[in-house]
Amino acid sequence: MKGRTILWFGILLPVSAAVLFLLQRLLVPKYMGRVVEGAFIEEYYDEKSPHDVIILGDCEVYENLSPAVLWREYGITSYIRGSAQQLIPQSYYILEDTLKSETPGAVVVSVSAMQQYEQDNETYNRMTLDGMRWSASKLRSIRATMMEDEHLIEYVFPILRFHSRWRELEEDDFRYFWDRRQVTHSGYYMRADVRPAGEFPAERRRSNYAFDDRAWQYLEKIRLLCQEKGITLILMKAPSLYPAWHEQWEQQIEDYAGQHGLMYVNCIEQKDDIGIDFSTDTYDGGLHMNVYGAEKMSRYFGEIFAQVPGVGNWPEGGSVSEIWEEKCRFYDEMKASQEEEFGRLGYLSQFAGE
Amino acid sequence: MFLVSYEFVLFFAAVLVLYYGVAGRFQWIVLLLSSYLFYAQGGIGYLFYPVFTTVTTWFLAGAIGSMSRKSKAWIKENNPGREEKKEHNRLVKRSQRRIMVLGLVLNFGILAVLKYFNFLLENVNIFLHGAGAEGEFVFVNWLLPLGISYYTFQSMGYLIDVYYRKYEPEKNLARFALFVSFFPQLVAGPISRFEQLKDSLYANHRLQLRNIRLGAERMLWGYFKKLVIADRLGPAVSVIIGDPQTYDGIYVFLGMVGYTLWMYADFAGGIDIVLGAARMLDISLPENFDRPFLSKSLGEFWRRWHMTLMLWLREYIFFPVSTSRLAKSGSKLAGIVSGKKAAGRIPVYMATLTVWFVAGIWHGASWKFAAWGMMNGAVLLISQELTPWYRNFHDAHGFVKTRMYSWFQIVRTFLLFACLEMFEYYSFGRVFFMLRSLVCSSSLSQLGDGRFEALGLKGADLLVLGAGIFAMAGSGFFKDQKSAGEWMEKRPVFARYGLIFGMFLLVLVTGVYGRGYDASQFIYNQF
Repeated sequence: MKGRTILWFGILLPVSAAVLFLLQRLLVPKYMGRVVEGAFIEEYYDEKSPHDVIILGDCEVYENLSPAVLWREYGITSYIRGSAQQLIPQSYYILEDTLKSETPGAVVVSVSAMQQYEQDNETYNRMTLDGMRWSASKLRSIRATMMEDEHLIEYVFPILRFHSRWRELEEDDFRYFWDRRQVTHSGYYMRADVRPAGEFPAERRRSNYAFDDRAWQYLEKIRLLCQEKGITLILMKAPSLYPAWHEQWEQQIEDYAGQHGLMYVNCIEQKDDIGIDFSTDTYDGGLHMNVYGAEKMSRYFGEIFAQVPGVGNWPEGGSVSEIWEEKCRFYDEMKASQEEEFGRLGYLSQFAGE
Repeated sequence: MFLVSYEFVLFFAAVLVLYYGVAGRFQWIVLLLSSYLFYAQGGIGYLFYPVFTTVTTWFLAGAIGSMSRKSKAWIKENNPGREEKKEHNRLVKRSQRRIMVLGLVLNFGILAVLKYFNFLLENVNIFLHGAGAEGEFVFVNWLLPLGISYYTFQSMGYLIDVYYRKYEPEKNLARFALFVSFFPQLVAGPISRFEQLKDSLYANHRLQLRNIRLGAERMLWGYFKKLVIADRLGPAVSVIIGDPQTYDGIYVFLGMVGYTLWMYADFAGGIDIVLGAARMLDISLPENFDRPFLSKSLGEFWRRWHMTLMLWLREYIFFPVSTSRLAKSGSKLAGIVSGKKAAGRIPVYMATLTVWFVAGIWHGASWKFAAWGMMNGAVLLISQELTPWYRNFHDAHGFVKTRMYSWFQIVRTFLLFACLEMFEYYSFGRVFFMLRSLVCSSSLSQLGDGRFEALGLKGADLLVLGAGIFAMAGSGFFKDQKSAGEWMEKRPVFARYGLIFGMFLLVLVTGVYGRGYDASQFIYNQF
C-alpha cells in the first residue's frame, strides 16, 4: 500500500500535473502577433519600478498616453493597466490588485467605459481577466463581469476554454511557450502609423443616456478606494472622434466630478490645448491616437500630474532612473523601427497580420 | 444539468464525497436528495412530473399489493372451494387490473399529452385543411421534462410487475422515489427493473477504490465517445441529412454511415457515463448495448442495441399483445381461412408490428419515426418468413461457415440498419429517391467537388474521427465491459495509467465542448 501511495503521489500525479500544465501553456493564446492586447494586463507583474500614476481603462488609455514621455519630460513613473474593452468593474478590481503592491500618488480612470457595464464579447473578458494574477480580486472580477455563457472553471483552468486551439497552433505558440516578449511600454500600446481622421456615420439616438447604476457603483468604489489610500483620482475622456461621446454622458460625469471634487479632463474639448491634429496624430482614422498623439497627450497630462503632491521627483541615477532609462531606450527603438517600416511600406506588417 | 456539463462533473464529485461520507443507512437518502436537486436544476416546476409519477405509481402499486395480501389472507382464513377460490381470484384480479390501468392511463397520459399532443394537432390540422376548413389549431409550447419517457417506462414496468405479482411493492415511498429518479440514469436510461436495481440501490456501500477507478474509466470512455466522436461527427452529418437536394449520390452513403455512428457514439457514450457514474456509487445498472455492430442479422442487432428498451417492449407489449384476446381471435380466424401455420403467425405479426410502432413513436412524435419503426418490424417479419430458406441455403453451402461470410453478415446488418435509419431523417418517399441516387449516381469524385468542405470537417478533425472510430470499433473485440476492465487491470500500472491519462488528454484537448457547445444535444435526451 505504501509503495503504491509513493508511486501515485511521488511519480504519477506530479508527472500528470506537469503534462497538463505544459499542455495548457501551449494551448492558451500568446497574443504576440497581430492581436497583442491580451498580453497587456499580465506584463504589469514584471514591473520592477514603483509608479507615481496608475492609469485604468480600455483602449482610450493604453493607446493615448505614453509613460516614457511622462518619465523623460516630467520624471513621473506611470503604468497603464488597461486592456481592450476593459469594463469599469474590471478596472476597479485591477486597481484593488495593484494597490496590494504599491500606492501611487494619482489614479486616472477613463470614463468611456461607463457607457457599457456588461461585456458583449467574451474575447475581451479573456484578454483582461486571464492576464490578472490569481487573487481574491481576480476571482471577484471574474464573477462580476463573466458573461452568461462563461464558466468560472474555464478561468481557473484556461485549457478548458482554449483546448480547441490544438488545430490552429502557430509558430508563436511554440516560440513564446516559456517567455513572452514585451509588447507594451509600461502598458502603452505603440502605433507609429498614420491614418488621418475621416468621416464617421451619424451616431444613432438613444432612448436612455443614463449610465448603468452598477457602473456608477464601481466608479464610486474606485473613488472610495482612492480616498481611503490618499490617492488623487482624475477622470479622463480620451480624444476619440468615434463612437460619439454624448453631451448627456458628459454632463453626468461633470456632475459626479463636481460633486466629489474630482478633476475631470475631457480631451475632446481640450484637443486644441493639447495640440492634437487628427490628420497626423491618429493611426485609425480618429478612433485612437498614434504615438505622436499619445506623446502630446502625455505632455498635457504631465503638467497635471506634476501638480499632484508626491508625484515624481525620483533621484537621478537611482535604480528607478535606471529602469526607466532602459524603458525609454526600448521605446525609442520600437518607435524608430515602426517609423522606418511605415515610411517604407506605408503600413506596419505586424498589425497587418504578416 | 446535463451529463456533459462542468456542473454535472462538479455535482457528481460533491455527491460522491457526501455519499461515502455519511453512514451507509443514509446513502440512499443522499442519492434521493441529489436526484431531486439534479432534476430541479432545470426548473423547480419540472419536479412535479417525476413526483406525480412516483406518488401515483407507488400508491396504486401499494393498493394492488395490499389486495393481493388480503386475498391470500382471506383464502387462508376461509379455505374456499376450488370454484369459489377461482371466482374470488377473478374478482381480485379484475379490481387490480382496473387499478393498474388507472396508473397506466395517468402516467402514459401525461407522456402522451406532453410529447404527442402537437403531433395530434398537426395531423388534425392536415385533416381539416384537406377537408377545406380554414384556420388551424395552434401548437402548444409545453416543455418536455427531461427523461420523461425513461422514468415513465421504468415506473410502469414496476406497476405491471406488481400487478403480475412478480415481486412485492416497495413499502417506503421515499425509497421508491429514488428508484424512479436515480439521477445518473434519469436523463438517458437505461430502463431498469425494480427487482434488479433495488438491492444495490438501497444497500450500504463501502468506498472501494476499484469501483471508483473502473467507474471513472467507464465515464471517461463515455466522454470520449460523446465529445470526441459524436459531437464532431454530428454537425457534419446534420448538414448532409438536412439538405438532401445538395447531398445526394455518395453523400447518401456518408450520411447513412455517419448518422449511424453518430447515434451510436452519442447514445452509447451517454450510457457509459451513466453506468460509470453508477459504478462509482457501487450501484449496478443494466447494460444497454452489447456490441451491436457485430450482429449478423437485424433481429440479433435489436437484441444488442438499446437492450433495456427492447426488453421492456418485449415484456410489456409483445407478450401481452400476442396473448391478448384480439390476437387469439385473429389467430382463430386465420386458422379457419389459411390453416394452422397462418394461425400461429397472427399473434406474432400483431405483437411485432405493435412493438415496432410503439418503438418508432417512442423515438419521436412524427410519422417518420412511425415509418422507421414499421419498416424495422416489416424487415424482421420478412426475415422470419425467410428463415427456412436461409437454413436451407446455409446447409447447402459450406462457405457460410467461413470467417469471411461472418464479416459479410456483419457488414450487411450494419448497412441494413443504417439504411433503415434513413426513415428517421428523410420522409418515406424521399428514402427511396435517395437510395436510387446512391445506387445510380454515386462516384468518389463527388467527394472532391466542394460539398465535402462545406461539412466543416478539416483534416485534423478527420484524423481524430478516424482514430476515434477505430478505437471504438477496437473496443468491440472485448466480450463486454467487464472484460475490458479486466484487460486493463492486467496491464502494468504505468501502462494502465498511461492509457487512461492518454485518453483523458484526448478528451480534454480534442473533445468538442466549452464555449458555444450545447450540452443538451444528447440525441437520447429528447426521449
